[in-house]
Amino acid sequence: MLTRDRLGTFVAVLLGTAIVAATLVLLTSARPRLPDRFADLAVLVQSPAAANRPDAFAEPVPWPAGTAERLAGRLRAVPGVRAVVEDRPFYAQPVRSGRPVPGHTVGYGWSDVTGRLLDGSPPAGDRDVVVDRALGVPVGGTVTLLTASGPAPWRVTGHVGTAAVFVSGPVAARLSPGVRVLGVAGRPDPAAVRSVVGGDGTVLTGDRRAEVEPRADARTRWIGLQVLTATTALAGFAGVFLAASTSAFAVSQRRREIGLLRAVGATPRQVRAMLYRSALLVGAAASALGVGLGVLAAHLLAGRLVHAGIEPAGYTVRWWTWAPAAAFAAGPLVALLGTAAAARRASRIGPLEAMRAAEVEKRPMTRLRWLAGLAAAAAGTAAAVATAVASDVSDLAQYSMLGAMALVVAATLLAPVVIPALVGVLLRPVRGVLGMLVRESALTAVRRTASTAAPVLLTVAFAVFVTGTVQTSTAAYAARRAATVDAAAVLVPDGTPGLHDAAAGRATLRTQVYVAGTAVPALGSADLPPGTALAAPTGAGRVTVTYPDGVAETLRVTGPAPPETELVLPRASVRAHDPSALAPAAFLPARPAVTAPGAEVVDAATYAARTDTEDDRLVWTFTLLLLAVSAGAGALAVANTLLMSARQRIGDYRVLRLSGATPGQVALTAALESALVVAIGSLLGIGTALLALIGSAQSLAAQSGRAVPVVVPWPLVACVVAGCLVVAVAAGALPARAARG
Amino acid sequence: MTVTLRDVRMIYGTGTRQVRALDDVTVDFPPGAFHAVMGPSGSGKSTLLHCAAGLERPTAGAVSVGGTDLGGLNETALTRLRRDRIGFVFQAFNLVSSLSAAQNVALPLRLAGHRPTPERVAGALDAVGLADRAGHRPSELSGGQQQRVAIARALITAPAVVFADEPTGALDNRSSRQVLHLLRRLADEHRQTIVMVTHDPVAAAVADRVLMLADGRLVDEVADLDAVAIAARVTELELAC
Repeated sequence: MLTRDRLGTFVAVLLGTAIVAATLVLLTSARPRLPDRFADLAVLVQSPAAANRPDAFAEPVPWPAGTAERLAGRLRAVPGVRAVVEDRPFYAQPVRSGRPVPGHTVGYGWSDVTGRLLDGSPPAGDRDVVVDRALGVPVGGTVTLLTASGPAPWRVTGHVGTAAVFVSGPVAARLSPGVRVLGVAGRPDPAAVRSVVGGDGTVLTGDRRAEVEPRADARTRWIGLQVLTATTALAGFAGVFLAASTSAFAVSQRRREIGLLRAVGATPRQVRAMLYRSALLVGAAASALGVGLGVLAAHLLAGRLVHAGIEPAGYTVRWWTWAPAAAFAAGPLVALLGTAAAARRASRIGPLEAMRAAEVEKRPMTRLRWLAGLAAAAAGTAAAVATAVASDVSDLAQYSMLGAMALVVAATLLAPVVIPALVGVLLRPVRGVLGMLVRESALTAVRRTASTAAPVLLTVAFAVFVTGTVQTSTAAYAARRAATVDAAAVLVPDGTPGLHDAAAGRATLRTQVYVAGTAVPALGSADLPPGTALAAPTGAGRVTVTYPDGVAETLRVTGPAPPETELVLPRASVRAHDPSALAPAAFLPARPAVTAPGAEVVDAATYAARTDTEDDRLVWTFTLLLLAVSAGAGALAVANTLLMSARQRIGDYRVLRLSGATPGQVALTAALESALVVAIGSLLGIGTALLALIGSAQSLAAQSGRAVPVVVPWPLVACVVAGCLVVAVAAGALPARAARG
Repeated sequence: MTVTLRDVRMIYGTGTRQVRALDDVTVDFPPGAFHAVMGPSGSGKSTLLHCAAGLERPTAGAVSVGGTDLGGLNETALTRLRRDRIGFVFQAFNLVSSLSAAQNVALPLRLAGHRPTPERVAGALDAVGLADRAGHRPSELSGGQQQRVAIARALITAPAVVFADEPTGALDNRSSRQVLHLLRRLADEHRQTIVMVTHDPVAAAVADRVLMLADGRLVDEVADLDAVAIAARVTELELAC
C-alpha cells in the first residue's frame, strides 16, 4: 500500500538474495576439473584409492614401478589402444634471475600423446628439458631448475605453452618412480579395459576422468565450499534479520493507519494477511533483481576467487538452473520470516490507535520479546558451552558461529533493557539543550532506538567475531609453535613449496606414506638409524610402510612419535623412495652466511608466526570476504533504517525549527542522534561478540592445554564502526536538512 | 433499542492512580435519532463512545448493539460486528492516505469480502455531495471534504448506528456547518441513528437530544435547545466541578 514502507524489506531481501545467488552459483560451479594434459585421453586408469575419510583428501596408493609397467603392458594389448602413458609428476621449479618462478612447481615426463611442442624437439638426454615459452629461454639455451636435490643447469630442447617443465621418460621415472595414473590413448572398449585392469585400479571415462585432479585442488575447493556456505548462511541470516527490523519499523510507522483499518472493519487476521501478501510481493520483486545482481557478481568474483587461492586454477562459473532458482525462492521466504514478528504485532494494534494523536510507546519490552530474547540468550550460551567442549575443529567453528548468531538475536531483543542506562552514560559528556533533546527522544522511544541500533549491532558483532575468531586461533597456534622452536636461526622456503637438499641436506623431510592402505603424513629425520621408525604407540613393534614410489618396507618401531606427528622415518629411506620430498624448515644453531636459491633465514619468532602462512593467508582472505559481505550489507541496512526513522522524525525537526533552533542545531541534533545509535549498537555488538569469542578461546585453551588470549584486530573493528558512523550521520542529517523548508 | 449501556463502569489504572472514567452509566440510544454527548474535558464522553462502539471493553456492565451483547464476542467477532453494524467518523486521520476517495469508501465492504459495484460507491459519495471527487486522494481534498468522504464510508454498510467522535473538531466554521448539516440530513431523510461526541455547543445543538456527562456520570439530558442555551448548561456544569 505504501511503497516507502516496503523499501526496507526490499533492500534487505535484495541484498540477501544477491549474496545467496552469487555464492550458490559459485558453489555449484566448483566441480572437479580434468587436468589439461589428459584432455585427449579417452580412458584413465587410477591406482587404488587410500582408505582415508574423503575429507582427508589423500592421494591414491601408487603402483610400484613393476606393477605399473606390467599393467601398462596388458593395456597396450587391448584392441583399439594406441598408446599408454605413465603419468609422472614431480617437483621442478625454474629459476629466473636468481629467484624461483612462483607457482611454476611441477614437472612431467614427456609424451607425444599428451604434450604438444610449439617448437624445438622433445627431451631425449638426461639434462634435456622442454619449458614454457613464456619463461623466455631460447631453444638450445640453459635454464636452472630446482628439484628436490637442488638447483642444476638443464638444456632447453623445446617450448610448450603451459606452466610446467617436461623431461625425458627415463628421467621422469627416476624423479617420480610411483605411478598413480595411466592414460590410455585411442578408442578402446571401456569394458575390455575394465576386465584387463581388474582390481588393480579404477577405470575412469567421460566426466569421471576429472577425479584424477590433484587432491590439493579438491581440498582447496572443499575449503572454498566451507567459506561460501558460511557466506550463504550469513547472508540468509542477515537478510531475515534486516527484513525483520525494517518490517518492525514499517509497522510502527503505520500504527495509525492500521488502527484505522481495524476500526473500519479489518480483522487481525486480515491485517496479518495484508502484511504477508505485501512481504511476498516485495520479496519476489527484490528476489528477481537480487538474483540478477548475484549472478552478475558471481561472474566478476570467479576470477578473484582463483586469484586469492580459494578456488583452483581453471575455475569458471558454470550454469545450473537450480542455483539461481533456489536463491529466487529464498527471497519471498526471507521476507515472510522477517515480517512474521512485525505482522503479529501489527495484528494486535487496536482500532483506538487511529484516534490517538501522539505516538507513545507503552512498554518497550513485551512478554514475548522477553521470552524470545531469553530463549536466544540461552541458545547462545548453550552453543558457547558446546564450543568450549568441542573437540573437532569444524564442530567448534559451527557451534561458535551458531552461538554468535543466537547471541546477536538475544542482544537485539533485550537491548531495550539496557538502552536507558547506556544512553545515560554515553550522553553524560553532552551538556545543554541538544543533549537533553537527544536523550529524551532516545528514551521515550526505546524500542525505536533499539531497532535503529540493530543493524549496527549485527555488523559490528560479526566484524569482531569473525576477525577475532581467526586472529585468536592464529595467535594460539603461533604461540604453541614458538614454544617448541629452539634454534638461533631457521631456514625457510622462499618462493618454493619446501627446502631442497642443496639448501638443507639434513633437514627433516615431509612426505606421505601408506600404512595398511591409509595415507599417513610422515617425516624423514636424519637422526633415525635405517630400518627404524618412531610411531604413535600402538603396541606393535613393527610397522609396514608403503612409500610414494609404491615400494613397501617393514620398520622396527623404536619409540613414540613426537607430539602432533604420526610417523617419523629415516631421512635416507624417505629420500630414496620419494625423490620429490622437501623439507618445511631447517633449524640451525647459527645464522649461515649464504643461502641457496629458494631459501631464506629468519629468527625463531618469525618462523613461528609464519608457519602455515599459506593456510592462514587463505583463511584471512575468506575472513575479509565474509567481513566485506556482512559490513556492506550492514552499512546499507544502517542507512536504510535511519532514513526510514528520519522521515518519521521530520515532524519533530520542524517543531524544533519553529521553536527557534537554527538549521545548524537541527542538523547537529540529527547527527548526535545517529551517533548515539551507532555507539549503542557498537557497544552491544562488541560485547556480544566478545562473549562468543571467549567461548572459542576456552575451547582452544582446552585443546592446547595452555591459556589462549582473545585477540581482536581493533583497527579493523574501528574501521567498521567508523564506516557505520559515517553512513549513519549522513543518513540522519540529510533528512534533517529537508526540515529547513 | 439500537444501542444500550447497562451499569457500565470503566476504571483505568490501579491503586492511588486509579481513574474512574465511567461510573455506572446506564443509557439507551433509540433508533432513528441524532444523539449528542457533551461534557467538559475528562468527563468520560470519549470513553462512553468507545464502550458503546465496542472499541474498548468496560470494567463492568453490559453493552449491546442491535440486540447483540458485546461482552460475549471475541476480537474477530467484535470486528465483524463493527464492520457490519457500526460506522465511524473520527476527528482527524480519517482516511487511508494512499487510497482514492472511492477506494476509501469501498474499504469496509472490501474488508468484509464483498466487491461493491461502482454505482453503490458513487451513490454513497453522491449522498455526501462528492460524486465528482471519487478519484481524488485525501491529500487533494479539503478537511471538510475528507470528513464527508469518511461519512460516506461510515454509511456504505448501512450500519445500525454511526458513531462520530468530534467530527468537526479539526474543521473551520464553514466546513463544520456542512458536515453537521449532512449528519442532520441523514437523520431526517434516512432515519439514521447517530451518536456524536462533541464539546462544541453549536454542533450539539444540531442533535435531537443532548446528554451531559461530568465525572463519568450522566448528569443531565436536554432536547431542542439552541447553542446558546447548551453553552450555558455546559458552563454551569464546569463551574460546579
